[in-house]
Amino acid sequence: MSESFYVKINGSETKAEKDQTILNLLSNTSSQVPHVCYHPSLGPIETCDTCIVKVNGEFVRACSTKLEDGDDVDTNSDEVKEAQVIGMDRILINHELYCTVCDYNNGTCEVHNTVKEMKINHQSIPFDHKPYEVDSSNPFYRYDPDQCILCGRCVEACQDVQVTETLSIDWDRERPRVIWDKDVPINESSCVSCGHCSTVCPCNAMMEKGMEGEAGYMTGINRETLRPMIEITKGVETGYGSILAISDMESAMREQRIKKTKTVCTFCGVGCSFDVWTKGREILKVEPQIDAPANGISTCIKGKFGWDFVNSEERLTKPLIREGDAFREASWDEALNLIAKKFTEIKTQHGSQALTFISSSKCTNEESYLMQKLARGVIGTNNIDNCSRYCQTPATMGLFRTVGHGGDSGSIKDIEKSELVIVIGSNTSESHPVLATRIKRSHKLHNQKLIVADLRKHEMADRADLFIQPRAGSDLVWLSAVTKYILDKGWADNEFLSTHVNGLEEFTKNLEKFTLEYAEKATGLPQETLVHIAETISQSKSVCVLWAMGVTQHMGGSDTSTAISNLLLVTGNYGRPGVGSYPLRGHNNVQGASDFGSMPDRLPSYEKVSDEKVRAKYEQAWGVKIPEEPGLNNHEMVQGIMDGNVKAMYLKGEDMGIVDSNINHVHAAYEKLDFFVVQDLFLTRTAEFADVVLPASPSLEKEGTFTNTERRIQRLYQVLEPLGDSRPDWQIIQDIANRLGAGWNYKHPSDIMEEAAQLAPLFAGVSYERLEGYKSLQWPVAPDGTDTPVLFTDGFPFDDRKAKLHPVDWTEPKEFGEEYDIHVNNGRLLEHFHEGNMTYKSEGITSKTPNTFLEISHDLAKERGIKDGTLVRLSSPYGSVKVHCLITDRVKGKEVYLPMNDSGEASINLLTSSYSDKDTDTPAYKETSAKLEILQVEGVNPLPKINFRYGNPQPQIGVAVDKKWARKDYIFPGDVVKKERKQHG
Amino acid sequence: MAKAIKNVHKIAVTEEQKRKDDLREVEDALIKNKDAILQTMDIMSHMQDKGILSLLNGLFGQGDKVLEIAVKAMDKPENTNTLKNLLLLSGSLGMINVQQLEPFLLKLNSGIARMAEFKDTEEKTGYFDIVRSLKDPDINKSITILLQFLKGMGQDTQHYEKTNQDTQKQRINQSENKTLE
Repeated sequence: MSESFYVKINGSETKAEKDQTILNLLSNTSSQVPHVCYHPSLGPIETCDTCIVKVNGEFVRACSTKLEDGDDVDTNSDEVKEAQVIGMDRILINHELYCTVCDYNNGTCEVHNTVKEMKINHQSIPFDHKPYEVDSSNPFYRYDPDQCILCGRCVEACQDVQVTETLSIDWDRERPRVIWDKDVPINESSCVSCGHCSTVCPCNAMMEKGMEGEAGYMTGINRETLRPMIEITKGVETGYGSILAISDMESAMREQRIKKTKTVCTFCGVGCSFDVWTKGREILKVEPQIDAPANGISTCIKGKFGWDFVNSEERLTKPLIREGDAFREASWDEALNLIAKKFTEIKTQHGSQALTFISSSKCTNEESYLMQKLARGVIGTNNIDNCSRYCQTPATMGLFRTVGHGGDSGSIKDIEKSELVIVIGSNTSESHPVLATRIKRSHKLHNQKLIVADLRKHEMADRADLFIQPRAGSDLVWLSAVTKYILDKGWADNEFLSTHVNGLEEFTKNLEKFTLEYAEKATGLPQETLVHIAETISQSKSVCVLWAMGVTQHMGGSDTSTAISNLLLVTGNYGRPGVGSYPLRGHNNVQGASDFGSMPDRLPSYEKVSDEKVRAKYEQAWGVKIPEEPGLNNHEMVQGIMDGNVKAMYLKGEDMGIVDSNINHVHAAYEKLDFFVVQDLFLTRTAEFADVVLPASPSLEKEGTFTNTERRIQRLYQVLEPLGDSRPDWQIIQDIANRLGAGWNYKHPSDIMEEAAQLAPLFAGVSYERLEGYKSLQWPVAPDGTDTPVLFTDGFPFDDRKAKLHPVDWTEPKEFGEEYDIHVNNGRLLEHFHEGNMTYKSEGITSKTPNTFLEISHDLAKERGIKDGTLVRLSSPYGSVKVHCLITDRVKGKEVYLPMNDSGEASINLLTSSYSDKDTDTPAYKETSAKLEILQVEGVNPLPKINFRYGNPQPQIGVAVDKKWARKDYIFPGDVVKKERKQHG
Repeated sequence: MAKAIKNVHKIAVTEEQKRKDDLREVEDALIKNKDAILQTMDIMSHMQDKGILSLLNGLFGQGDKVLEIAVKAMDKPENTNTLKNLLLLSGSLGMINVQQLEPFLLKLNSGIARMAEFKDTEEKTGYFDIVRSLKDPDINKSITILLQFLKGMGQDTQHYEKTNQDTQKQRINQSENKTLE
C-alpha cells in the first residue's frame, strides 16, 4: 500500500496518494482541469500550460506537480481560469480551427475538445500562419507545421518511447517547429516510420496519409476550393461555439461509415493489438490504444502501415487446381472433392503415415487446433508440425528441460523493469521492434543495464553498456564459463538453489571443463570480459535474458538455450517479477501454434502423445483412435518424401519453399510428392509446386485468437469480409474434414476454443468472453479464469515443484572447408516481414527498401575491391545467390549479413544446409559459409538514400521544454495573471 | 513429378454470364427493397415534373466546378456577412421567450385590427383627449406595458452579445454564465 494523506481541492477534503500528481487526482473527481499536451502513456510534457492550478497560493502545472500532505488546491477561481485561457490562447495562435473540413475531426481531437471544454468563444490573438510548408515526403505520414501546436508529444514519443531519437522541436527559431534529425525532409531522416508521432499527435499536425481526404465528408475537396471554404467558415464564425457544434455533427456522421475494429498484429511475436479504421475495404489508419496489453500506444512500421497486402490484386480469390503446366481456377466444391478423394486414396494405398500436415504460426490458435485434429482425429497420423520448428523449438526444449514451461517467464513489463537485460543472438530492435523500445527506454531513462552478445553491431549492440562478439556458435561456452565462475566465486543464489532446484552436483561437475582459459580460446572473448559479465550478473538484483535465432538456429541450439536457463537458475533469476528467460517468438503465433498441438509429439498444452492417459482423453472426446508413436517433424517430412514414405502434404500459411533451409533440396522433395495442397494468401514459391492451392483469408478477414511471446492470448475481430472466394483457414480445414466424413460443426472460432479449453489444462479457463475487446489471458489459465503473468512464483511444474539444472556440452559449429571462407549470417530487417510476400505489397515500404542486400565489412570490401552496389555471387555446397553489396560497419571481417527478404536469386536458403539442431531438427541456418565471387564491380547501391539506416538521429531527453521556457517571449501564464492583478489592484 | 508452375488460367466469365450474374444481383436488391424503391420512384417522378432532376444533374455533373464557384461567391465579404447575420439572427431568435411574447402579440393583433378599422377616420385627438384616455382601462393597460418594455430595453445586455470580441474578464465569465450552452 502506498502512503496516503488528505489535501483540499477547492476547499473540500480529498484523499491523495504519495507521488500522485494533481492532474491524476483530479481526473477522478468532478473538478477536472483542461489539458492538451499530457498523455497518460507519455506523462507530463509541460508545454501546453492549460492545466494550470493554484497550490497553496502559487500557480503550478497540474500535470507535473506532485501532491504533498495538506496541500490547498484551487482549480476554479477566476485567476486560475484566466491563466488556463492564456495557455489555450497560445495554442490557438498556432492552430487554425477548421474542424468540419479537417480529417482529424473524429471526436478525439484534443484541441477541439479542450476549446469546447473551456467554453472559449473567441481568442485574443488571432491564428498566425507559420512560414513553413507541409512535409509530405514520407510515404506514410505527413507533418503540417501550420497546424502544429508545439505540444511535443511526438517528440516525447520518438525520443523516449520508441527511442529512435529523430524528432525534436527547434525552440531557437522565431516560430518553432518539429524537425527531423538536423532539419532534413522526413523521408531523408533516421525516421523508422513506426507511427508513434501520428498516433500521439493531439490534432491534425502529424497525420497518417491514409486519413488524408478520406476521413471526413468534406475533406476530399480540392485544395483550391478547400482554402476559401476555411476562410468562409472563419468569416462566418460567430464564435467557436457554432463551429464546434457543426463539426461535432459532422464527426458524429463519420461514425456511420468509418468502422473501428480491434485486431492483433501478425508481423512478429510481440502481439501488438490496435484498432483498424476502415471505410469499405480501404484502411484509413491503425490506431493503437492505451489499453493494449502488450504494446499500449506503440507500433512498428509494419503494424502501423504494412497492411496493403490485404487488398493486393495478387491475392488468390479462387481455388487453383494443377492441370498440365498451369493452374486452373476452380470452384470450392471441385477443389475440396479432389482433396478428399486424393487423401482417401493415399491413405488406403499407403496408410495414414504417408500423409503429412504443416500448420502455420501466422494462423490462429483455433486453426492450429483444427489442423492437428484433422491429422490425428480424421486421417490418423501424428505427422503434424508447424513452422516454429524453423525458429524457436530449441528454446522450448531448453526450457522444458530446466523449468518445465516453454514460454517467456514473464511479460514485456518484467523486461522493462529488470535491472539487467542480456540480449543474445537477437536483433531485437528490428525483429521485435516494440519490445525493443521498452528496453531502449529503460536503458535511456531508468539506468537499466544492457549486455548484448551478437555477431553484428546492430542498434541494440550500439546502445549496450557491454557489447560482446563471441565467435559464431560459441554462446554456450561463454554462458557456461560465466555460470561456472559465479559458482566458483560463491556468488550463486544458494538459498534459491537449495529450495527450488535439483541436480546442482552433476551440473557443477559437468561445468568443470568450462574454465575461463578454455572459454577465451573457444569464443575469442578476453577473460576479463567474462569476469566482468559474471560480476554484473551477480550484482544485479534482477536479470532477464532474451534470445532468438542467433542462439537457436545452430546444431547445438537446444543446448545453448538450456545453458541460458541454467545460468538464470544458478543466479536465482526465476519465479518473481522482473526476471527470467525470454525466448522471443518470431511470428505472431509461434507460441500458440505449438501450444495448441501442431507438434508431432505433443497434443495441445504440450501433453505427450506417448502418454496413454492423455491419448485416452482425446480419443474419448473425438471418438477416434490416436496413434501412440510421435509423428514426423518438418525436417523429417522432407526426408520422408525423399525416402518415398511420405506421399502427400497439406501445408498452410507458410512459404516453406523459401524459409526452410537448403531449399534446392526441399524443392526437389516437393516435386516427388504425389499430392500437395498449399493454402495461402498468394501464389507463393511453395504454392507453385502444389496440386491444389486454396485461397485463405488473412487475420483482418477472420476471428480467432493469437498467443504472443508473453504467453498472452488475445482476440482478433473481423475487420473486412474475405476477399473474393477466399475463406478463413478454420473453415477450409473443417470443410476438408467434413468431406472426409468427420461431421464437425463449428459455427464460430469460439466453439473451437471451447473444445480446446475443455481438453487442454493450460487453457482450462480460456473463453471468448474473458478475452473480449482488449482483455487478454496469459497461460496457464485456471478454470476460474485466473491467469499467470509471471511463471514459477509457486514452484516449477515438475513432480516436486523443483527446477532442474541440465548439464550440456558444446557442439562445435559446422565447418565447410577452407574454400568457404565467408560466414553468412542471416535474419530479418525491420521493414520487411520474412521473405516479403506481404510487405513488398506496400508501395511505401518498397520505396524505402526495394530489395535485399549483402552487408559486408569495410575490411572485406577493401580486401576484395568491393563497392556499394557491387554484384557478387555467394556459393555454398548447397547452392548460390546473386546479390548487390552494401558496405557497413554493422558487420566485421569475413562475416557478411544477408537479410531474408527475397524470394528470388538472393534467397538466403539457397545457401543454407540441411544440418540441424541435434535435439529438435531446427535447421542450423546460422551455420552457413560460402565463397564470394565478384560478378560486376560497378552497380547501383541496393539501399536507397531514403532508407532510415542513413539517418542521423539526435538524441535528447523528451522535448527539452526548458528551452521553451528560456525563450525571451515566454512568460509563465501564472506570472502574467499575477502581474495583471497587481496592475489593476 | 510436379514442377513449379506460375501460370494461372482464370475462370473466364463470359460476357453473357457476367451480365446474368449482375442482373440477378440487381434483381435481388430490387426485391429486397421493393417498398423503398417504389416510393423513391414516386419522389423522382415529382422531381422530374418540377425540373429538379435536370438541375441536380447539372450540379453533380460539374460538381467540383460548381462547388468552386459557389465557394468563391460565398467567400465575398457581403455574402459571408449574410451568412453571419443569418447565424446571429437564428441565435437571437432562439433567445426570444415566445411564452411571454404570445399574450403581447395577441394584444398587438387586436390593436392592429382596431387601427385598421379607424384608418380613414377624420376624428382628431386633443391633449385633453389623451389625458382622458388614460382613464380608459384598455388604453391605460397598453401604456403601462409600453413603459415596462422601455425600461427593459434600457438594461445592460452586453454580456449576451455574440458579435463583439471578448475581454479577458468576459471570457473567463463565459463559462460561468453558460452563454455558450
